[in-house]
Amino acid sequence: MGMPLRSHLIMSEQSDAQLIAEILDGDVESFRVLVHRHRDTCTRFAVRMLGSQADADDVLQSAFMRAYRGLAKCRDRERFGGWLYRIVVNECRTFASRQRQRELRFVNDAEVIDRAEAKKDDASAEDMSERIDFALAKLPVEQREAFLLKYVEEMSYEDMSAATGVSVPALKMRVKRASDTLRRLLEDALND
Amino acid sequence: MIENRDDLPTETSAFAERVAGPLRRPERLDPSFDDRLMRRVEIEAPALYARSRPNTARWWKTERVIRLSPLGAVALAAGISMFVALSTLAVGTRAWKRGATPDATASAGSAAIRSDTVNLVRFVFVDSNARRVELVGDFNEWAKGTTQLKPSGAPGVWTVSVPLSPGRHEYAFIINGSRWVTDPLAVKSSDDFGTESSVIRVGASAKSTT
Repeated sequence: MGMPLRSHLIMSEQSDAQLIAEILDGDVESFRVLVHRHRDTCTRFAVRMLGSQADADDVLQSAFMRAYRGLAKCRDRERFGGWLYRIVVNECRTFASRQRQRELRFVNDAEVIDRAEAKKDDASAEDMSERIDFALAKLPVEQREAFLLKYVEEMSYEDMSAATGVSVPALKMRVKRASDTLRRLLEDALND
Repeated sequence: MIENRDDLPTETSAFAERVAGPLRRPERLDPSFDDRLMRRVEIEAPALYARSRPNTARWWKTERVIRLSPLGAVALAAGISMFVALSTLAVGTRAWKRGATPDATASAGSAAIRSDTVNLVRFVFVDSNARRVELVGDFNEWAKGTTQLKPSGAPGVWTVSVPLSPGRHEYAFIINGSRWVTDPLAVKSSDDFGTESSVIRVGASAKSTT
């Protein structure tokens, strides 16, 4: 059932600007094409930022709906991807901050430390990804965001600034702090 | 100690690269993601776009068969004749009004409201390096390529006059087809997505861009 639609979507050669014009003209299906085109580039960032597929799903649903509602305000329609990314970053930031507050309120710090120590002792290569995910989750939200955009999404600082609304010097400082913290948390494991 | 292009010490940067490697593995959402999203979109679509922007282009493009009785055809012809006559009269009246109200002198600012019956607003942009200047705003749906400014004769001065409805309008200029800039002489507005635009208020008593 899904395959013909998928191939149809992939074959669409309309530019983002053309699709947006059609959506504003009332063509809902053009938004499906736009979502399909940009969804995967946002998914990895959201999953890494939130540490959960389910949370990323919720946040991306919310982000795409926000984009749909605000589409008339997307001024440079040829750069829809950058505009959408900014919405996704904002939604992730808001969700992650709330998530952090919940954790600080309900999770016993000793328990978190025990889990970290347990992971440190279990030094098999298979769970290295899991360790990195765990260390990443320990970073403050703004440092995690900066580190992911720089080193995982491999964005320039100028693009990061456009996506986050944060100045380039501040982003550089966040990346540095994130890298230092990750190094402290993971150096032993990665050097094993 | 700044030692590489990322402004991180080389050792730290190399470590960050090692950490990032596993994090770059692709992620996929549940296959039902698009369908769930589109169900929500379809619920909101009529209120957001279809109702606010009736698809007149499609209406005109759609072929329709209209059957008229002989008497109906005569009545329609008479109606069209009356419409044409009234339109001509209206155009004449408007031309007379505009002629009676001389255009206000354009200010040194960016957008000057001429005091006439159609709220003709003159936008001025000065940039001696510009090869092309466009105006985008809520009045042309922020669509590039629809409203071009023309060289006024003075070096680097570009202008265009646009009829605007009364009320608040947001706008920006696009230089050489790619660089979006706000009007340096107008009030600025920032939307939910952090994008800045300039604001002009048009109305019977409006005299400035703010």
